[in-house]
Amino acid sequence: MNRKIIELKQLSKNFGEQQVLKGIDLNIYENEFLTLLGPSGCGKTTTLRIIAGFDEPSGGEVLFHGTDISKVPAYKRDVNTVFQKYALFPFLNVYDNIAFGLKIKKKDKKTIDEKVKNTLKLVGLEGFEKRGVTLLSGGQQQRIAIARALVNEPKVLLLDEPLGALDAKLRKEMQSELKKIQQEVGITFIFVTHDQEEALSMSDTVVVMNEGIIQQIGSPVDIYNEPENRFVAGFIGESNIIENAVMKHDLLVSFDGFDFECVDKGFKDNEETEVVLRPEDIDIVSPENSRIKGQVKSIAFKGVHYEIHVETPFRNYLIHTTDYFEPGLNVGLSFGPEDIHVMYKM
Amino acid sequence: MEERTIQKKHKIGSALYITLCFLFLYLPILVTMIFSFNSSKSLTRFQGFSLTWYERLFTDSEIMGAVYVSISIALLATVISTILGTITAIGLSKSRKIIKEIIINVNNIPIMNPDIVTAIGLMILFSSLKIEKGYLTMLLAHVCFCTPYVITSVYPKVRNLDPALANAAMDLGATPFQALTKVILPMIKEGIFAGVLLAFTMSFDDFVVSYFITGNGVKNISIVVYNMTRRTNPTINALSTIVILVIMITLVIVNIVPAITKKRSKKNFELEKEGIFIAQNKRLKKYAGTAAAAALIVIIVLTSYAGNKETLKIFNAGEYIDPDLITEFEKEYNCRIIYETFDSNESMYTKIMSGETYDVLVPSDYMIERLIKENQLAEIDWSSLSNSDNLNKDIMGKAFDSENKYSVPYFYGTVGILYDKTVVKEEDLKDGWNLLKNTRYKNNIYMYDSERDAFMIALKALGYSMNTDKKEEIDEAYNWLIEQRVTMNPVDVGDDVMDNMIAGNKALAVVYSGDAAYIMAENKNLEFFNPDEGTNEWFDCMVIMKSSEKMVLAHKFIDFMLDVEHATINSAFVGYTSPVEGAYQNMLETDYKGISSYTPVMGNKGNEIFRYQSAETKGYFADLWTKVKAH
Repeated sequence: MNRKIIELKQLSKNFGEQQVLKGIDLNIYENEFLTLLGPSGCGKTTTLRIIAGFDEPSGGEVLFHGTDISKVPAYKRDVNTVFQKYALFPFLNVYDNIAFGLKIKKKDKKTIDEKVKNTLKLVGLEGFEKRGVTLLSGGQQQRIAIARALVNEPKVLLLDEPLGALDAKLRKEMQSELKKIQQEVGITFIFVTHDQEEALSMSDTVVVMNEGIIQQIGSPVDIYNEPENRFVAGFIGESNIIENAVMKHDLLVSFDGFDFECVDKGFKDNEETEVVLRPEDIDIVSPENSRIKGQVKSIAFKGVHYEIHVETPFRNYLIHTTDYFEPGLNVGLSFGPEDIHVMYKM
Repeated sequence: MEERTIQKKHKIGSALYITLCFLFLYLPILVTMIFSFNSSKSLTRFQGFSLTWYERLFTDSEIMGAVYVSISIALLATVISTILGTITAIGLSKSRKIIKEIIINVNNIPIMNPDIVTAIGLMILFSSLKIEKGYLTMLLAHVCFCTPYVITSVYPKVRNLDPALANAAMDLGATPFQALTKVILPMIKEGIFAGVLLAFTMSFDDFVVSYFITGNGVKNISIVVYNMTRRTNPTINALSTIVILVIMITLVIVNIVPAITKKRSKKNFELEKEGIFIAQNKRLKKYAGTAAAAALIVIIVLTSYAGNKETLKIFNAGEYIDPDLITEFEKEYNCRIIYETFDSNESMYTKIMSGETYDVLVPSDYMIERLIKENQLAEIDWSSLSNSDNLNKDIMGKAFDSENKYSVPYFYGTVGILYDKTVVKEEDLKDGWNLLKNTRYKNNIYMYDSERDAFMIALKALGYSMNTDKKEEIDEAYNWLIEQRVTMNPVDVGDDVMDNMIAGNKALAVVYSGDAAYIMAENKNLEFFNPDEGTNEWFDCMVIMKSSEKMVLAHKFIDFMLDVEHATINSAFVGYTSPVEGAYQNMLETDYKGISSYTPVMGNKGNEIFRYQSAETKGYFADLWTKVKAH
């Protein structure tokens, strides 16, 4: 593992009565692409603003290479930010926007020219120097915003929902672009988003937040496959959550009147737990081949797959499959032990 | 076909409409500009091209001083209020919503407030704080009423500003101050520019507030022009024309320069690559900044200079001295004259009673009598007036100050009737004041819009004393005036009588002899006569206030005005009859040669001088005058 670059220790933030961050502990490493993921109001942007220096924490520490920087003003920090709506300076052209930070730092003209040129090349907008920023498309403005931040060669780049204003196709493009840039410049990216797909596809580490608390920290695969609680499971992708499961003992969980083998252990015997079943992990089989039986209530075409709702005596299941099933058809549901994710009850 | 004619008609209609609108807007300006080149004094009749008034303008120290005051106050007030207003607007945008709303609404109050209320409020404030009125108070007042306009024009720009922009700047390493100057100010510069324009114009053309809060002779253009209108003075036109030209040029520059620089900057794109243009531009910017700062410093220094020299405060009627004489006196005695003007004896009295002090005043006879009674005047030390022998002894020792213990004559004259020889029949003149009731001249009369003069005419026409306190006589005079109004339909005028009579607009006018001389010099069809029933003999004199601490300099000034040469210059400028014998003779041979009214007919049997009125009589006259005016 790389060296720690930023450590958040028991970070809290109040806006008047409202407690937005309730003790955040987080280590961020060099060269890491870390995403803060959560619904709006979860505190992810506030965390980012505290790291950037726009807000002061109400409590806790922000360590940068081991020294507390929570009282250091934004303009003295070794981080740069890409803003949600880019916040480009509309009265300056592309060149001057990107050169802004370098000019403030009184770099000489030659260095500035060179760096601006290289950065523009990095974001794929060579020759755009003299354009007015207001006339550029959303995607181009986005790249300029990234270039403006990166040209300062920060140790950490903060990105506050930078893709939010782009259309779906452009978003996809920019996601891979961002990832590419991060690998090229080799610095830490802290990325804030509420889009779980974006988070999973780009990040080395995903931090899921809700109501000012970190719910889970892990790699995208871990987060997706092993959600620690119902919130994470529900927020990351679609899922069937069984709230009244009981862990009989290690490797055996019981719900809907049956015992199922699973791969989870470490729970107490007969502990009440919750179980998540991803819709694409459930197979529809003929009723006689399954213990869980039900009836197809609805089917909707979603492009790659069908989205099917199956009603069973205990609950409705959501299933993603590429096969078509007539509504009203009696079916059975099947899943393997590795498809069952047992979580602590919230 | 028909459709086309309709369209055509529409076109003609709209063209006509636009033409009329433009005429309505620009005709007054055009007239002003044309008459600034008039060779005569008339404001209404063009008598040939000349640049006299421009010459006068640039040599008139009072006007040039006022131009300096107006411009420097406007510049300083604009700079200060722009800084204040912009900072307030930015701060406001970051405040809590309730505070924001309260302040914005409070900010609107001074804008909605009538100027006069602001003016009185500031005047009372400065008086109660015992701040000496003058340049500083005027500047403070202008900053006070300009700032709300700046806030109003800057605030919307700030409110629409993305707060992330300031953050972005600081994120890129800019200190908060750099973020302000490099990002926020460029973003709101249109608002600031609008605020600057508003503040400058508000300050530059302010009259009401300036008039009330100024003192010590500090006058801006509006105040000087206001005082100038007492007598027709085409230098106003010259001044207005220059102001209009300056505004036009500014507008052209504001509108055209950005377009040109845009073009140029495109051309310079190649150069810029080599860094030449940028460097040049930067140097230029630096120069401009230094120049602006230097200009401000010069203004401040010039303003604060003036100190040290001895000052003399003079309070005179408007347009009642040749300003060159003031300059000359200042030079000769190495002092500074603070020269203020009033529009009537009564307003002068009010100002004095409000505690304002002056060294030399120039009031009229009855007011001098009152001031003597109220113990306001210092005795004149005649032995120190080396030119006292120049005075015409016939006009001295009048009842209001029988031994001239307190007063030294300045100008004198009578009130009479100015008539158009080509219209008025010679035999009608024997009617005396009742000529003004001769129906042959119905709708053809100017009356002087003044209580004292109107009642003087009526009382004299009836054969009474104009200083009567008998109610039945006054009532009779009142009836005379009402009857005259009904039968003759006269027009009440003030100093505009001069211009109207120069233009020959009516056949008869009641005027002061000095004004008559001035008018007759311009219109040879006119003649002046003093009715046999007698008239008002008036004397305006220089007096020294008891409170004055500049007795020696005040006497020197009075003596200076009694010098034959100076009195000649002054009489030529004002047009009134000089009590200095030599000056009087000079005028008879030059400017007012053959003009009868320059020699007032003094000592006619019925002639009187206005005397001090008891409060009761004064009130009675005032009530009746109100009724006459309402008729």
